[in-house]
Amino acid sequence: MGGDSGPAIVPGDREASRLIRAVSYADGDLKMPPKYRLTETERVALAQWVESGAADPRSGQVSKKSEEIDLAKGRRFWSFRPVTQPPVPKVDEALGQGESLGAIDRFVLSRLAKEGVRQVDLAKPETLVRRLYFDLIGLPPTPEQLDEFLADTSPEAYARLVDRLLSSPQFGETWGRHWLDVARFAESSGGGRSLMFRNAWRYRDYVIDAFNSDKPFNEFILEQIAGDLLPEGTAAQQNERFVATGFLALGPHNYELQDKELLRMEVVDEQIETVGRAFLAMTIGCARCHDHKFDPIPTRDYYAMAGIFRSTQSLVPGNVSGWVERNLSPSPEVQRKIDQHSKATKKSNAALRDAKTELQKVEVAAGRAGVFVDNPQAEKIGEWMKSTSNKNFYGENYIHDKGEGKGQKKVIFTAELKKAGEYEVRVGYTHGTNRSEKVPVTIAHTGGETTLHINQREVPPISNNFKALGRFRFDEGKATITVSNAGTKDVTIADAVAFIPLMNLNKDSGLESRLAKLRGEVDRLAKRVELLKNSKPAGSPKAMAVQDQKEVSDWHVHIRGGIRNKGPIVPRGFLQVASRRQVDAQAKIRAGSGRRELAEWIASDENPLTRRVMVNRIWHHLMGQGLVRTTDNFGVMGEAPSHSELLDWLAGQFARDNWSVKEMIRHIVLSRTYRLASVGESDGLAADPENRLLWRANRKRLTAEAIRDSILAISGQLSDQQGGYTIRKFSQYDWGYEFNTVRRSVYVPLFRNTLMEVFEAFDVANPNVVTGRRNETTLPTQALYLLNSPFVNKEAKRAGERIERLGHTDAERVRLAYRLTLGREPSAAEAEVAMAFVSDAVSSEENRPWASLAHSLISSIQFRYLD
Amino acid sequence: MLKTTACGFGSLALAGLCQQAQAGVPSTLLQRQPMFPPRAKRVIFLFMAGGPSHVDSYDHKPELYRNHGRDYDFTGVRFGTFGKKSKRKLMKPLWDFKQYGQCGQHVSELFPYTAQMVDDLCFIKSMHTEGVAHGPSTLFLHTGATNLIRPSVGSWVTYGLGTENQNLPGFVTLQPSGSKGGPRNHSNAFLPAIFQGTSIGKAGQPASEATLRNAVNTSLPRAEQERRFRLLQKLNAAQLANRPQDDQLEAVAESFELAWRMQMNAPEVFDLAGEDQATKRLYGIGEKHTDDFGKQCLMARRMAESGVRYIQVNYADESTNPRWDQHSNMPKHMDHARATDKPVAGLLADLKRRGLLEETLVWWGGEFGRTPFSQNADGRDHNPRGFTTWLAGAGVKPGISYGATDELGDTAVENKVHMHDLHATILHILGLDHEKLTYRYAGRDFRLTDVHGSVVHDILS
Repeated sequence: MGGDSGPAIVPGDREASRLIRAVSYADGDLKMPPKYRLTETERVALAQWVESGAADPRSGQVSKKSEEIDLAKGRRFWSFRPVTQPPVPKVDEALGQGESLGAIDRFVLSRLAKEGVRQVDLAKPETLVRRLYFDLIGLPPTPEQLDEFLADTSPEAYARLVDRLLSSPQFGETWGRHWLDVARFAESSGGGRSLMFRNAWRYRDYVIDAFNSDKPFNEFILEQIAGDLLPEGTAAQQNERFVATGFLALGPHNYELQDKELLRMEVVDEQIETVGRAFLAMTIGCARCHDHKFDPIPTRDYYAMAGIFRSTQSLVPGNVSGWVERNLSPSPEVQRKIDQHSKATKKSNAALRDAKTELQKVEVAAGRAGVFVDNPQAEKIGEWMKSTSNKNFYGENYIHDKGEGKGQKKVIFTAELKKAGEYEVRVGYTHGTNRSEKVPVTIAHTGGETTLHINQREVPPISNNFKALGRFRFDEGKATITVSNAGTKDVTIADAVAFIPLMNLNKDSGLESRLAKLRGEVDRLAKRVELLKNSKPAGSPKAMAVQDQKEVSDWHVHIRGGIRNKGPIVPRGFLQVASRRQVDAQAKIRAGSGRRELAEWIASDENPLTRRVMVNRIWHHLMGQGLVRTTDNFGVMGEAPSHSELLDWLAGQFARDNWSVKEMIRHIVLSRTYRLASVGESDGLAADPENRLLWRANRKRLTAEAIRDSILAISGQLSDQQGGYTIRKFSQYDWGYEFNTVRRSVYVPLFRNTLMEVFEAFDVANPNVVTGRRNETTLPTQALYLLNSPFVNKEAKRAGERIERLGHTDAERVRLAYRLTLGREPSAAEAEVAMAFVSDAVSSEENRPWASLAHSLISSIQFRYLD
Repeated sequence: MLKTTACGFGSLALAGLCQQAQAGVPSTLLQRQPMFPPRAKRVIFLFMAGGPSHVDSYDHKPELYRNHGRDYDFTGVRFGTFGKKSKRKLMKPLWDFKQYGQCGQHVSELFPYTAQMVDDLCFIKSMHTEGVAHGPSTLFLHTGATNLIRPSVGSWVTYGLGTENQNLPGFVTLQPSGSKGGPRNHSNAFLPAIFQGTSIGKAGQPASEATLRNAVNTSLPRAEQERRFRLLQKLNAAQLANRPQDDQLEAVAESFELAWRMQMNAPEVFDLAGEDQATKRLYGIGEKHTDDFGKQCLMARRMAESGVRYIQVNYADESTNPRWDQHSNMPKHMDHARATDKPVAGLLADLKRRGLLEETLVWWGGEFGRTPFSQNADGRDHNPRGFTTWLAGAGVKPGISYGATDELGDTAVENKVHMHDLHATILHILGLDHEKLTYRYAGRDFRLTDVHGSVVHDILS
């Protein structure tokens, strides 16, 4: 019994027993129970009991040894045992009903035979084709595709369709989405201050490409955990590998957490938990504060991994922390543009600087040198914050009112003018879209006070920094100009003011005209610089990523998870229980954080979990439930596999196929078991109502994405554009983001603070946690969405128009409506209901019978299920 | 006991944990029996986003007047000043206090209307919590965690009790803000989706526009909606004809029937047209400063009446500095007090005269309080170390004040109540044991109060 900081009880030794120290409250950090102190009598009783050998009160037996996690015993649990190579069972060939049986079917049938349960018949072809389309590409077959398949009677028709769907680009969009669930992918941080992850889309596209190109899954693992540490490849490979490590970076973090040491450990924790559940279906996070309660994962394993992730940099320091971004090599074409632009910018900047210097010289010569007052010299009322974010400022910085304390803040610029006379007054500010539009500037001049308003959203006309406010006469001595935030709504800026003398101090007209010319030149160049700044090419692309820390090291155990409560240091390594021998769990680190070694340990053929977890997830998506139904928990608290030999055979086959996901899918969908009907007469219903034995197919619910994509496909609106950045420009926050796109759902921006409504309604994966199996709820809010949402109403109207246009007779249109929405012909009774509805209806602007029929079919029960 | 202290789990609990996943775990909103007789049936939480100042409102500190302008030693808790010692200037309250009611509770000029109700209120003046920035502390207030993904209080309550009216959501949050935790503040996290808070409207939008999403069809005339719904019923019936006794499919058909009923009922709950003028006046509806929050409070009463289990009313916005967040310009507190005081007092009075206060627990508070020392000359910084919250109605002693901060109001010192304790107490008042209300997720049993929290028995009625 005990924990990471030593045994709780050492029989016979009260001093060494932490339990006794804890209840005595002698130790500041170690207090048990945490809420109240035991009474003196209770404490004495405990101490005496320990002294006397700590007998088990139930049996009176004195214990010999403290309880520790028994790793040898742990390794005997099914999921930690090495993957076996079970022989494919022999079964009665007649069960194939004329078809030859594959390995999957033999495992399933042999088990069914033992239980005395028969399988139902195969699904009808139209049912099967709809099932296959959705399972592989997430879209319904069009009526033409349906007809094409039904008309092809050759025995290879089905296998050909499988091949075609596996090689279509929509395959990666669908199966990539499954992985994005596991990777808790999102494009904003959520949490306290939700920050936009504007480069997260690159990771999304990387995942889709990986599934489309059938990247071996072990390579996919290596790249996501340690892409940046793999041996150098081509520029394109290098880019891809940086992007892949986004997997570790894009978790839901509260970047504004003020205790930065805690934040660092929270990020490490999230990475351990995500890697653990995503690849190993292990809840390693449970071991953060104590040895895992259920699984043989001691706390030291957690901190062995924590050492790896602490040696990995994910955060960039700041009040609100940032995340690591790595530069990607741009394509040659983009690089050329960048080079051109940077050359032009350099040239223009230099020219502007020269012209300004020249102008200054001439101004001095002409007695036109201005008197400048910068903000550090000005008197400030209220709180003004310094900034240098916008570079067009005068002097060292500019200041702003933070957009608050309106009417209570002022900056008073006072100049000492040596000569009375007329001056041009200029006020300096840095412009921006968040600036105030009517900033009052008050000029105290000989004639009195004049208040003018400036719009700080506009680019200042003089050198992008100053705006002239007109000519005023001043006396000799002090002259003041006041910038206030009274009546302003947004951020108000104060930078500097200038008084440009206009008195005829020098009659040299040559100088005057030269001055005018130079001013024109400075303005022209300033405009050009601004133009160049706004036309900057997309630049060196960046990826959300991680990198090794400059200093890498093993890390301490944190006693009871307390971040400042450090125990012994543990060497970096992996889960001992999932390693064949203790020594295999130590990271033999060549260099760096140890992420590469961790990735190799996970992606190894030796790892008992990785392949089982992945083939089980594939099985889950195709068959509706995993052989292990708890897809993300292969521990003691998870479920045991229904067919453990089949699971191992699949895991073995996965390795034999070089970790090819497409091959695994092909094996499963070509099996007879996949092609069974989801209903039908069988003794299974009574013997095995949950269908663990696979006597029928499981009915599956369409994902939220498939529901939306189908609706757009039916209405003819769905775009087939692939990949790329999809967040609308200028959207600063995710909250309240307006989704307005007809692209496939996988490309709809996915934010932690705002989900597209249909996603929220139909159980999209929670983007904060690893999800291998989504929830499936049936809620009235889903019904309200289908009945009333503007989206469904609009698309139903379009679908109605399409049906009306494409069909020639009402009977044809009814058939088309059914085939488009449900992928089947209507029954006679259904056709009758539909015909009666249509012929009853009076068509008008608001009342369109075909839209009504399409809308009701989209809402109907069968639409959301795959039989 | 030995096993409990050493491992954190009793062996009985362990036996319970070894059962297979989630059998018997509630996943509907049907009413469930509490674990023991409850003191309240429902909660109305009036969330004051940004952190109202306790020393300027309810926590009267004479010493603060006496020490006005003096230096105060402070150890930094934020990024950049973490652990650093500095001198800060104490600042006296900006509003004068007076005693009210039989109980003689001090209330400042900020809340003249609520002051009239003090004999119904149960003040907790020794609150303390986690986090320093708004995001983490607001999440902690709502979920008991500053950073980890955890279900909201309202989700736990509806998970534990279900709800009375099946035609309305069980957990509603009125006009929530998208910042400072945003939707995570009313999220079910890993609990079944049905326990997610339903947001009605959003911060910054007029309360008069707030209603249940998709309860109204803006695309079709009523007659056409009805025709489509009847057609859908026929299509579903035809589909079900081939699948007799299929619970899953029938549940889908049933969800449409329920949706249709909600569509008839829900908009009415949010429609204040039927309320008489006197009631509206009570809430300050029709007056410039109080109209909007008054409408929210009145909606809350209507929901309470209709049997919504957990109702959160948000006084929040979408800015970087939430409403009560006066780092400078403390006088601005008056604007917020003016906007909320009369509506809140009106809600209490209205609940009371209708007998609803006897079965409803009302909770008023922010994510933290503010410092007794100044910031930026005339502001106050965040203070998670000590602040005030009040409860009213079912389950709590009226007219009392519990706990105290130090003499300057900086840190809770007497009868301290941590946010976890408040959560435990609220669950207790509803008849739920915070240690037994657990949910198995990712191989672990989770609670609202994690491994903390004690019920504050002294304030219970």
